[in-house]
Amino acid sequence: MGETAAEKAATAKRDRVFLVVVDDSAERDVALRYACLRARNGGGRVALLRVLEPVGMIEWAGVGVLMAEERREEAEKLLSGLGAQVQEITGSLPIVEIREGEPRDQLLALLEEDPRISILVLASSTGSGPGPLISALTGRYASRVRVPMTIVPGGLDDRELERVT
Amino acid sequence: MQVYLPIAEMSVDAFLLMGIGFGVGWLSGLFGVGGGFLLTPLLILIGIPSPVAVASGANQTLGASVSGLIAQWRRGNVDAKMGGVLLAGGFLGSFAGVQLFALLRRIGQVDLAVSLFYVVVLGTVGALMVMESARAILRRRGAVRRKLHEHTWAHGLPLKMRFRKSRLYISIIPPALVGFGIGVLSAVMGVGGGFMLVPAMIYLLGMPTSVVIGTSLFQVVFVAANVTLLQAVQLGTVDILLTLLLLVGGVAGAQFGAAMGTKLKGEETRALLGLLVLGVALSLLWGLLRPPGNLFSAGPAL
Repeated sequence: MGETAAEKAATAKRDRVFLVVVDDSAERDVALRYACLRARNGGGRVALLRVLEPVGMIEWAGVGVLMAEERREEAEKLLSGLGAQVQEITGSLPIVEIREGEPRDQLLALLEEDPRISILVLASSTGSGPGPLISALTGRYASRVRVPMTIVPGGLDDRELERVT
Repeated sequence: MQVYLPIAEMSVDAFLLMGIGFGVGWLSGLFGVGGGFLLTPLLILIGIPSPVAVASGANQTLGASVSGLIAQWRRGNVDAKMGGVLLAGGFLGSFAGVQLFALLRRIGQVDLAVSLFYVVVLGTVGALMVMESARAILRRRGAVRRKLHEHTWAHGLPLKMRFRKSRLYISIIPPALVGFGIGVLSAVMGVGGGFMLVPAMIYLLGMPTSVVIGTSLFQVVFVAANVTLLQAVQLGTVDILLTLLLLVGGVAGAQFGAAMGTKLKGEETRALLGLLVLGVALSLLWGLLRPPGNLFSAGPAL
């Protein structure tokens, strides 16, 4: 076949997937924008993971079911909105994953199960400490992460993001 | 270890009280409920006079609900405006309920009335819970979808108000009425009323489920506080020693319950709770139907 190293690199670049965890923090948008810009400039796709909080025990089963349903609908609405943003920047729709449980555990499980994901993009909090996910994945759970991680400073503005991507 | 309860005017085993507090606290930690609807009838069953049992139940509910409310408030799951309307109704309702309670006490029918309330309410609630869980366990649930923004006669009522967090634009009359009803029940039965308030908010008012738990706790905390205060001031029926012993058990139980809550299987536990509620209702019913030990007792004439 005689594929050159440059051609190989080009296909690999197109196939890579940047995973962004969609939580309710302010840094989420920075991580998402960074991932989109990297995907646009260097090739690749964006994947979004939204982890729902489990409903827990409610005395009425019907209420619990309704609650789980509404949370899922809300997550779908949020992800389709973000998906439109991703498409605007990268030109393709993101891979979307909705799971239920503890965010950290679900993220690690997804990384183990889905071999397409190549880079995990997280943004650090602008307050004190980098945020719970980053602390966990760089600390106690560091050995369980199977992909490289990119930590984007949460305080970067759009121009700075353009520059570093 | 027997202790004398000054207000209830009787001696009971302190460990029995702590055990009841623990059991009810465990359930309230598990389900995130106040637990008054189990505590009050259990106290009545071990022979505590109804007025004291009701006042102590309200007090216990208050303690269990405050920490829940704080957690929900921090996460922004409380619709304070809706809570305020419910609460206005709730205050009126609990005031009316305590007056009703005082009247029943004057004519000497308070034990009968409280037991009847419990038999009817717990019987209905328990039966519904068991049926619901049985259906879910048997996997015969039809996909019943709720229509959002269904227009009913309730939308024609005046005094409309916008509730931003609940995404509703409705008259304040239905929520105030719901609050009033729960307030009356709270005063007469010594419950917070969350287990009836939550379905009422969803199915009657059409609130989104995300704010329902927090907002119901908001109403429950203030109404239970009001009931405890009114019962203490007007009727003098809050037994400090009794509530203290119950709280000691309750706090420990709630910790265990909250820790176990995430590990248990939902449907089976719910079915058990339903059976427990039904069991309490049946034993109260038996207490009403059973021929009394002494057939005649002297009391004030009506």
